[in-house]
Amino acid sequence: MILEFVVSAIGLGALYALLTIGVALLFGVLGLLNFAYGEIVMAGGFALYLFRDQPWALSVGAAVVLAVIVAVVCEVLAFRPLRDADPITLMIASFAVSLAIQSLARMTVLPRAQGVAPEPFLGQRFQLLGADISVLEIGTLVLCGLILGAVAWLMTRTSLGIQLRAAAENFEMASVLGVRANLVIPGAFAIVGLLAAAGSVVLVARQGAVSAEMGLQPMLIGVVGAVLGGLRSLKGAALGGFILGVATTLLETVLPTGLIAFRDAVLFTALIAVLVIRPQGLLSSAKVRVS
Amino acid sequence: MRNKFDWLQTPALLVGLCVLCALVGAFSGGALGRVVTMTLISVVFVAGLSVFTGNSGVMSFGHVAFMAVGAYATAYLTIPVPLKNTLFPHLPAPLAWLGEVHAPFPEALVISGLAAGLLGLLTSPIVARLSGLQSGIATLAVLVIVYNVLNSWTDVTRGSSSMIGIPKVTTVWTALAVVAITIVVAWAYRCSRSGLQLKASRDDFWAAEAAGISVGRHRAIAWVLSAVLCGISGSLYASFLATFNVSGFFLSTTFAFVVMVVLGGYLSLSGAVIGAIGVSALQELLRRLQDGGLTGGVALPAGTADLLLAAVLLVILIKAPYGVMNVRELRLPRPRGKGGDKPRQADQTDPVRLTSGAMQ
Repeated sequence: MILEFVVSAIGLGALYALLTIGVALLFGVLGLLNFAYGEIVMAGGFALYLFRDQPWALSVGAAVVLAVIVAVVCEVLAFRPLRDADPITLMIASFAVSLAIQSLARMTVLPRAQGVAPEPFLGQRFQLLGADISVLEIGTLVLCGLILGAVAWLMTRTSLGIQLRAAAENFEMASVLGVRANLVIPGAFAIVGLLAAAGSVVLVARQGAVSAEMGLQPMLIGVVGAVLGGLRSLKGAALGGFILGVATTLLETVLPTGLIAFRDAVLFTALIAVLVIRPQGLLSSAKVRVS
Repeated sequence: MRNKFDWLQTPALLVGLCVLCALVGAFSGGALGRVVTMTLISVVFVAGLSVFTGNSGVMSFGHVAFMAVGAYATAYLTIPVPLKNTLFPHLPAPLAWLGEVHAPFPEALVISGLAAGLLGLLTSPIVARLSGLQSGIATLAVLVIVYNVLNSWTDVTRGSSSMIGIPKVTTVWTALAVVAITIVVAWAYRCSRSGLQLKASRDDFWAAEAAGISVGRHRAIAWVLSAVLCGISGSLYASFLATFNVSGFFLSTTFAFVVMVVLGGYLSLSGAVIGAIGVSALQELLRRLQDGGLTGGVALPAGTADLLLAAVLLVILIKAPYGVMNVRELRLPRPRGKGGDKPRQADQTDPVRLTSGAMQ
């Protein structure tokens, strides 16, 4: 019982951390709180639906490719002309991008939700130390853990990662020192596309369906997690997402059945409380000036 | 010398614009009449929103929550009691009085506004303390919370089933009357002491603080006032449509209103009103285009209207981030060559970079 809870809590925590990093990365580099993130996830799900009859590796590859393309196209068409705009303008623009992608999906293939049967092996369950655990949960945990590790490696060990972190720290200084904005920013969007694709693979496997509205939940999770952890640092954001996942699992276990439907209300009240009391995020030490 | 009644020019022009719309609606009737009434209800909402965003320079994504509260309050107050007892058979004991209350429409309108104002009062510490992006997220969180509660508390709010049986009393003329009152109230707040202080903080936050203005308090005042006005628009909405669904009070509606204020210019009341009328007309045009009414029966796939609206918003954000009106207000053109037109020149300067000024 305890072990089952721990596995599902850590699995969901890892998934939420993955989603959160996708939001925090762009905020760090561009000051963009990306509401279109959910639609990039949806693009991944869309590819999974189109290639649902192909081998698993192929459909996952297609999801990655499509999500990365959508993310980079968003950057070029919508966010590049607004590069120096203030955060609220960017936020409204990302709203518009989100609506545009959703309507495109609705106009073409997804006027209503479409089922995508998960791979049969994901539904199997096995016994581990007396606990009943599904392959899906372990798979979620392993995949998200791997991607998180890969992102950590990318950000610390590669040239692109170091340039990204420099740009997030101080964009002007970084560009003076030779970091090229038109290389780094599309690079950040491509990484976000990759993260979103991984998120979509897990989400579609859990839900068994794709729809034009499927981006809403991951987007809200990413934003809440990132704000909770502190938008300025990726580690803080990842930890914030992880805590959010664990808290969600905990709430679902602890809350009486009648109140589970109000889970979002509880989470968002907590979010407001964090914002009002600690605007820099729970885990960030950076000072954010409050007015 | 400036005329004593000079400050009334803008509200008079704006109300005049709305009267024109109402006349068009009243004489064409039918589908267009409905569109015009909905437009006027949007004007009430957007003018209410502009009381907060226009004066403080802080964007809010949560005002649709106030509209929702107003709509539900009107539903509880005006649905006939026998019908209400069949609609809500499982009201929990502490709220049983909801099944018995009843009020005629004008009172219900006012009470709905006050109910939304109460929610505004509860949430006012958020906007008093935060600005820029953080207040954007926090106001969005208010919307999500209210939506989640309305959607999940099935015994009290009917959850995702539609609310039905609200007496349909709003006509284009009641809507027009409320629009006129709203515009006057919004303008009066703008010219009031509190409104001027808030506008000072919009233009330069730290200078306003240094001059002794309690920015948080004035933001809270504007927030509550705009909540009341948006609640009233929700009440009009409910009593015009006679039925509504909780899904009408979430992100897509918020987006539609954001397009209106951004397109018109979210720093000016005239911008908000013109944006509401313009975008409503645009939406109707796109809807007819999508249904094939303009292309000779060739219907475009569902979602085309939304796609085009999003594209319009993006172009506006890129080309004119402060909308059509910028910080200007609608005024009659003045005779030229008289000199000393300082206020008009001051009106036309570019606005400061708001969020960067407010957030530091």
